[in-house]
Amino acid sequence: MEMEQPWSDWVRERDDPRIVNTRPEALDDITVLDLSNKSYAGCYCSSLLAEFGAEVLRVEPPEGDFLRTCTPYGMLYKGEGLNYLTEGRNKFHITLDLAKPEGREILKGLVTQADVLIETYRPGVMDEWGCGYEQLRKINPRLIFASISTYGQFGPMSRSRMPDYDNVAQARSGIQSGTGEVMPEGKGYEDCPWAIPTKSGPWIAWSVAGTFMAVDILAALHWRGMTGEGQALDVATTEAYARFDDYPPVWYQGSGVVAGRFGSLDVAGWLYCFAPTKDGAVFLGGLRLQMWQAFADMLGKWDEWGAENWTNLTVFTEEEQQLKWAPLVFEETRKYTNEELVAMSIEYAKKGRLAPITPVVAPVCSPEEAMKDANWADRGMFTPVQDPVYGELIVAQAQHKMTESPVRTKWVCRPVGYDNEHIYLKYLGWGPSKLKELKRKGII
Amino acid sequence: MAQETWNDYKQKKHSRPLPLKGIRVLEVCTLILGPVGPGYAAAMGAEVIKCEIPPNGDTCRDMTPFGYLFRGYGPVFVHNNVNKYWIGLDLHKTEGQEVFRELAAKSDVIEENLRPGVMESWNVGYRQIKEINPGIIYISKNGFGQWGQYAEENRPSNDGASQAFSGYAWMSSFSDQQPLKSRIYICDDYGGLMGELAVLAALHYRERTGKGQYIELSQSENIMRAMSWVWPYQQITGKGAMPAGNRDVSICPADTFCCADDTFVAIAAPALEEFRGLCTAMGKPELAEDPRFKDHLTRLKEENATAILQIIAAWVRTKKPEEVEALAEQYAFAASRVYTVKDVMEDRHFQERGFITEIDDPVIGQYYDYEFPVMMSRTSPRVKWSVRPVGLDNEYVMVHHLGKSKDEIERLYESGALGKWGDVPGRRPPSGWDGKAGVILARDGEEKE
Repeated sequence: MEMEQPWSDWVRERDDPRIVNTRPEALDDITVLDLSNKSYAGCYCSSLLAEFGAEVLRVEPPEGDFLRTCTPYGMLYKGEGLNYLTEGRNKFHITLDLAKPEGREILKGLVTQADVLIETYRPGVMDEWGCGYEQLRKINPRLIFASISTYGQFGPMSRSRMPDYDNVAQARSGIQSGTGEVMPEGKGYEDCPWAIPTKSGPWIAWSVAGTFMAVDILAALHWRGMTGEGQALDVATTEAYARFDDYPPVWYQGSGVVAGRFGSLDVAGWLYCFAPTKDGAVFLGGLRLQMWQAFADMLGKWDEWGAENWTNLTVFTEEEQQLKWAPLVFEETRKYTNEELVAMSIEYAKKGRLAPITPVVAPVCSPEEAMKDANWADRGMFTPVQDPVYGELIVAQAQHKMTESPVRTKWVCRPVGYDNEHIYLKYLGWGPSKLKELKRKGII
Repeated sequence: MAQETWNDYKQKKHSRPLPLKGIRVLEVCTLILGPVGPGYAAAMGAEVIKCEIPPNGDTCRDMTPFGYLFRGYGPVFVHNNVNKYWIGLDLHKTEGQEVFRELAAKSDVIEENLRPGVMESWNVGYRQIKEINPGIIYISKNGFGQWGQYAEENRPSNDGASQAFSGYAWMSSFSDQQPLKSRIYICDDYGGLMGELAVLAALHYRERTGKGQYIELSQSENIMRAMSWVWPYQQITGKGAMPAGNRDVSICPADTFCCADDTFVAIAAPALEEFRGLCTAMGKPELAEDPRFKDHLTRLKEENATAILQIIAAWVRTKKPEEVEALAEQYAFAASRVYTVKDVMEDRHFQERGFITEIDDPVIGQYYDYEFPVMMSRTSPRVKWSVRPVGLDNEYVMVHHLGKSKDEIERLYESGALGKWGDVPGRRPPSGWDGKAGVILARDGEEKE
């Protein structure tokens, strides 16, 4: 019976983001203390857990986290920086001055009731405060103590005084050096300041570090479920992002070749590049020989390019072959618009000589175009959140969809200290008079 | 104190337990987006059985930088497929489907990255598997998810398409230049990681309730999740977000600068004390008092940011990268040379942490690669072994997991349900293989010598 319903309908009925609020939350038995300081990695990590329903207590100094001021062009919305606004989601925001001994005693009262602690201070700072892992495990042996920093908790650079920022982590990872346009022959930096190692625009090293940590917090919770044991976790933003550099380490040690820049072609794949069109650019993908043949066929070049006689895709991956074929391909793609090329590939999947095999053709979109794309809107990526403080706001969400315990965004953010009353009452039994006193002393 | 926690981590990690002990994952994945997730799980101790269609298996096997194979295998494939067990199982065949279902009944997680509906056409879709194992956690990863216009058009996709579709590449270029594709397969690698997060959250939910579930992940949607300010900015201003090259428009100063020797260094110094440190290092402490740069929000404004970045650029152009790094250390702002892969591999810090880790593999030999990048003090994830020829572990899995007899196994080979590698690069054993190394159980059913 169940099998009679088309698969896509069956899934959608069960995992459409529109119905997430009718479903349970996977992590609503977990309490997380997020002490992130000047770190999107830490805030992003706790967001990922909060989206699954963990109760995250976001602990900031009384003046608020510096990250709230890290916002494009200095722009504020209702007093808030835009990056922080997207990653305050589902968290309770409290203030506590950890630089004061009394603040640290209060923290310990929360630690005894927490499952996870996330911190991003320079390695050693938490220890100096008497709140390092070895100290806190004594009051809560089940605690999972998660530290994110540039270089990690041990090793020669762990004692560096340098703070952790995304662009510097991207530079250290080895990935930036291999991304970017190739310097045109006979030109230099002053002529072409864009033909240089180029980082990714978004805070990807921070996001990746935060996600690795979230994954491992869940693995540590699994272990704790079996054994009762907590532990310390250590993520270096530089290493977390470098782990995504798939082929260069093995290639380098095997051949001595240091992977360099290759523009928007791909060192390890053909057909796999951005190609100019009449009105922009498209991505072209065909990592199997037949997909590359289908591409040639789709452009009417089957005979001229001798596609029938191609037997091995690997030879096309070689540098000189790529540099030979890329201009031939681009000459053809320039004859069409993005829309025409996409339509040709969909049509080829139906009627082409090699159908249903067809090359991947995707328009290179601006984020403005992406946000207007009805496909993503339909799938709930940009459904505005009705936030009690900030009003109707669009943040990216629903990055995965699940039938039983899906993620959701209940609220986007909170002002500094917004939840002090509720959280201190709930966890420490402190009412208005005690809070007033702590506020007077500058502790919260 | 941290020293006490992390003392001799590199030396001790192999003698510690693994956090996902007892979790079995079946993988029907190809290229990168699919296999990386189970690869992470395997580094954390899950038992991952990778099912490939014989004789060619994973398309990534011969995906090579400029045609280079490392001991017979594509380097991307080597990097992303550690600690797995390898079976060659043809899911087009009824007998192959039956073997898969027997394994699925004893598994916790299934991961696939084919186009929507393919697994179901092989009788191993979620709706079919949950009938024999209601607790199964089943994840599908692809370009567009399982429903919606693009999924229903059955469009193929991959990492580059997602970099294009999401606006990620567009945001990662210089203004007035062509959008730039990242050299890494960021939407694959990151999609696989986020998929694993969902799998582990589902596992936690199952431990509480006994219920399994189905998960779908679109790699385009997933990378959009990591683009933070771009979306509310567009909503609030009504304008499109603009790329800015190496400049971080949310942190000032933060950019990549060209040094005296034409190499590059990245610098960030936004917090007040960091910015003061940088100004002092440049010999211009008065800049920290300049009204244009007095606090972070003011400094971030376009004209002010442009001004301070020009001042820093002119200064760095007279410096060597190691001088900038030394000053950053002294004055406590952030700086790093733009490292190449060689720099990373040879960096003493990464080596001493064991991030550069040695694998002593019976099939492809000794080599180094990056370790799973989370250090856990009690249960240390790690890379233990490397890739295998298609179907090398058929006998081990058939006997140890399913208790199949020698005759049953032979029949599976005869039907074509089970198979091994073809004589093709990336599929077959490396040259010089002795026919025994890495084999857990030999095909004749006898334990090897």
